Amino acid sequence: MTIRANTRPGGDPLLELRSVAAAIGGAEILRDVSLRLGRGEILGLLGPNGAGKTTTLSVALGLTAPSRGSARVFGGDPFVDGAAVRARLGALPEGGGFYGWMTAPAYLGFFARLHGLARAPDELAERLVQVGLKPSAGQRIETFSHGMRQRLGLARALLADPLLILLDEPTNGLDPRGRREVHDLLKRLARDGAGILLCTHLLDDVERLCDRISIMVAGVTVRDAALRDLGGGPPADAPRGGRFRLFLSAAGEGRPLPSGVSLVAQEREACVVEIAGSEMPEAAWVEMMFLGWRVREIHRIEDGSSPLERLYLSLTDADPARSAA
Amino acid sequence: MTSHADQVSVRSAVLPLRPAAGAWLIARKETGELLLSRRGLAWLLVVAVVLSAFALLLVSDTELGLLDNAQVVYDMVGIVIGVGALIGVVAGVDAVGGERERGSLVPLLLVPLPRGALLAGKLGGIAAAWAMTLVVALPYLWAVGSTGQNLGHAVAALIVLGTPVVLGFGAFALGLGARLRSVPAALNAALVVLLLSASPLVIGPGLRRTTIGAAFDAVNPFSAALNAVDAVVIDGERLAAHALAFCAVAVWALAAGWFAWAGMRRLAR
Repeated sequence: MTIRANTRPGGDPLLELRSVAAAIGGAEILRDVSLRLGRGEILGLLGPNGAGKTTTLSVALGLTAPSRGSARVFGGDPFVDGAAVRARLGALPEGGGFYGWMTAPAYLGFFARLHGLARAPDELAERLVQVGLKPSAGQRIETFSHGMRQRLGLARALLADPLLILLDEPTNGLDPRGRREVHDLLKRLARDGAGILLCTHLLDDVERLCDRISIMVAGVTVRDAALRDLGGGPPADAPRGGRFRLFLSAAGEGRPLPSGVSLVAQEREACVVEIAGSEMPEAAWVEMMFLGWRVREIHRIEDGSSPLERLYLSLTDADPARSAA
Repeated sequence: MTSHADQVSVRSAVLPLRPAAGAWLIARKETGELLLSRRGLAWLLVVAVVLSAFALLLVSDTELGLLDNAQVVYDMVGIVIGVGALIGVVAGVDAVGGERERGSLVPLLLVPLPRGALLAGKLGGIAAAWAMTLVVALPYLWAVGSTGQNLGHAVAALIVLGTPVVLGFGAFALGLGARLRSVPAALNAALVVLLLSASPLVIGPGLRRTTIGAAFDAVNPFSAALNAVDAVVIDGERLAAHALAFCAVAVWALAAGWFAWAGMRRLAR
């Protein structure tokens, strides 16, 4: 099979799923999933647990055949033209395991050779530096922390300079600096023309990185939109139980806070608390007084949730599985 | 980081890895795992302990005049094939089912190699495990058979007849590991079939002369191999005279290989 080079920005999509349905073990996990990812684009795939995000990645990777609809990667069928498609694709699957008895350079060297790439040792070392792993190059992988394994998995995914990168929770387990480094790396890769599908629960990652989002609920794509089109400001249909910030003058060091309320910042009596999951955030100060806080003045209440978070919460609130629970 | 424009030209300059080269790399990885991982080394230790125990028992029987040298060598060859098949079953289930459970299978499925190359590499790993078992077993065979005349023939029969039996069980277990989503279920199923097949080692010639025993013998690769080893080691017949037995174990290995191939083809995440 000949893979189309697709070197023009805005040309054919790198990845396109059209009304895909797929079953695993007899259970239909995907019912109607559609998405499209072009060159230089970062697409955030969002959805609650069990929505089918991992199965969607599995279809895109050619590991699960769709029972309906079509999946195209570089214009080809990933399930039929698997080897040709995988040569230009990098992936960090969920819960990826490693060969604990290998060192990180040996591990990367093994996968480089399987991709038909003769990577020199210094080039492999450079890949490790890129993901912040060089100091650990001599250690066996079995001694690595979760975050270090995550970095190694990312290095493996990027080994063949892929045109299309599919990542399942890439920043999971990383410290804040590591997360920032991964963000910078992914932005750079997108600038260089790679298309990136980012599957994550971290809306902050999506807001920082993604150009577009696709939200799935119970195996169905319910929203596909450019992030900038979500806009700002509280929507008219703001969901119940959002997140708010209460700015007040209060004193009560060492006193407990009501359930769902957390202290964001405090300097002398100037105090900011965050209230999650409340329908009446203004009532929080009353509860604080009951717990011994001396509240002198309430300055303002802000809706602390982002447009993306509000959209996500409103769409996933309609998830029948969650409603039933 | 390579720019995208560079990347396209670099990628087009890279030749895809030949499937045989990919299979060789995977077989080397599997062998490395056997020699360098704690799990692999533990299994080799188990092989050495089991063979030590049986060798000691057989040598004691020879010393007491309970068994002649040829019988002891025949028993030892049977035990080596049995232990080899056990290691093959463990390695076979681990090759796919174990890797899937540890999460390391998906990255391997994502390399640009056909499934046949992955299967060949995994079977290469099972062959390496059998080779290691043979290397460990040779000193024990020498210890029990060096005073007799038939050690060379026994080793030849072990390699020629034992290899398809062991690889067949490894491939069968690999196929089960690919089909069943549970490693314990795949291991249990493979072990039950192995124990049933290896029962001629335990039930002895009397029961095997009955109608049921004869029918069982006719379809059992273990029996085909052991009957031929018996004729070569105890009766002093030529190994070449038992081409039919070799065909029987080869058919078993091919059927098990097909089962593994079919399992690999339907392998998903």
